[in-house]
Amino acid sequence: MSSAAGGAAVGTTGAMVAALMPSKKKGSSDPFTSIVKYYIFSPNYILYYIGILVVIRILYMLFQGRGEDFNIGQFLVDINPFMWANIGIAMAIALSVVGAAWGIFITGTSLLGAAVKAPRIGTKNLISIIFCEAVAIYGIITAIVFSAKLTNGQQVREFEVANYFTGYSLFWAGVTVGMSNLACGISVGVAGSATALSDAYESSLFVKVLITEIFASVIGLFGLIVGLIISGGAQNFA
Amino acid sequence: MSTNSILCSDTYPEFAVFFGAMGAASALIFANIGSGYGTAKSGIGLAHLSITKPERVMRGIVPVVMAGILGIYGMIVAVIINGGLAKTGDVKAYPSAAGYIHFGAGLSAGLSSLAAGLAIGIVGDTSVRAYGKQEKIFVAMVLMLIFAEALGLYGLIIALLMNGTASSVMTYECIPATSQ
Repeated sequence: MSSAAGGAAVGTTGAMVAALMPSKKKGSSDPFTSIVKYYIFSPNYILYYIGILVVIRILYMLFQGRGEDFNIGQFLVDINPFMWANIGIAMAIALSVVGAAWGIFITGTSLLGAAVKAPRIGTKNLISIIFCEAVAIYGIITAIVFSAKLTNGQQVREFEVANYFTGYSLFWAGVTVGMSNLACGISVGVAGSATALSDAYESSLFVKVLITEIFASVIGLFGLIVGLIISGGAQNFA
Repeated sequence: MSTNSILCSDTYPEFAVFFGAMGAASALIFANIGSGYGTAKSGIGLAHLSITKPERVMRGIVPVVMAGILGIYGMIVAVIINGGLAKTGDVKAYPSAAGYIHFGAGLSAGLSSLAAGLAIGIVGDTSVRAYGKQEKIFVAMVLMLIFAEALGLYGLIIALLMNGTASSVMTYECIPATSQ
């Protein structure tokens, strides 16, 4: 009886293990290596592992009576507002430049490919590249304007409410400008690519499809405006 | 007996502005992502329309324009939320409740406009190409785009509603910290 039950247990375990094994790929020498490669050394389940570690950490704190240590507000307040402001400025310029670069290469590839058969479009369609560049200029403008508020680099008094307001508002204004310009850059790039291809087909279509690009570039302008408005109420650091 | 027996330092924490500003930022960021997607995807269809039927291009710009309006929705909500943030150095100016409500308002407007932008992009692209082949599709195209745009408008309405609620919770009774 017990041997039959033991045999059934081994059988079900074997079935479970067989279900967990990854599909046979060329190059995997034995099942153990393929399991390790699939589950641990590849980015398939990494997020689950990180999540399990975070949950275990939180449970440790909970069961040791230190549940109140998980304090988001304390985290937000402990980070120096000067640091918040600087990260915002970095996000503004960095993400704007990423958006501009992304748009430039999306437009550029289509432009270069279409210009092989229609070389006349090469010079006129550089305006699409310039639209993408304007996105990076927005980022630079906001970074310079926000940097003017970074006075008193020696020691920022941390326990003043006005400093906290400056830190948070510069952070979010910078992230707003950066992410808006990122979206705008990609959008302008795709629109510019469409413009180049239409222009290669027939010259009269260039201006008509360029209207799309103008609407797309307005997105970056919205980000610039709102970023300047959000940071407008922030005073210099004291 | 006071109605609210919480310390002022808990009701008006310093980090409340973080969430308020996050609301304003997320309203614009997600609305712009939706607007960018809508503009770009419809623009591709517009280029194809211009190749087959150039005389219909001016009517085919409608999806592009409607996608651009979503960015304006996000900007409206961001500016209105920003108007409610406390700018002075006054400690009892911005409660955490207002911060969370502003965050929710911004998120609702932003993600709704993101959804509307996705819809306008995909619908605009396909319908503009179909408009190149069949002229009577224009009315159906405009109707579908209007329904998609209404999603962003719902988010804007709820955001304005929540912002009004936040303005009414700006003052709380609390126990001030005793000077030590």
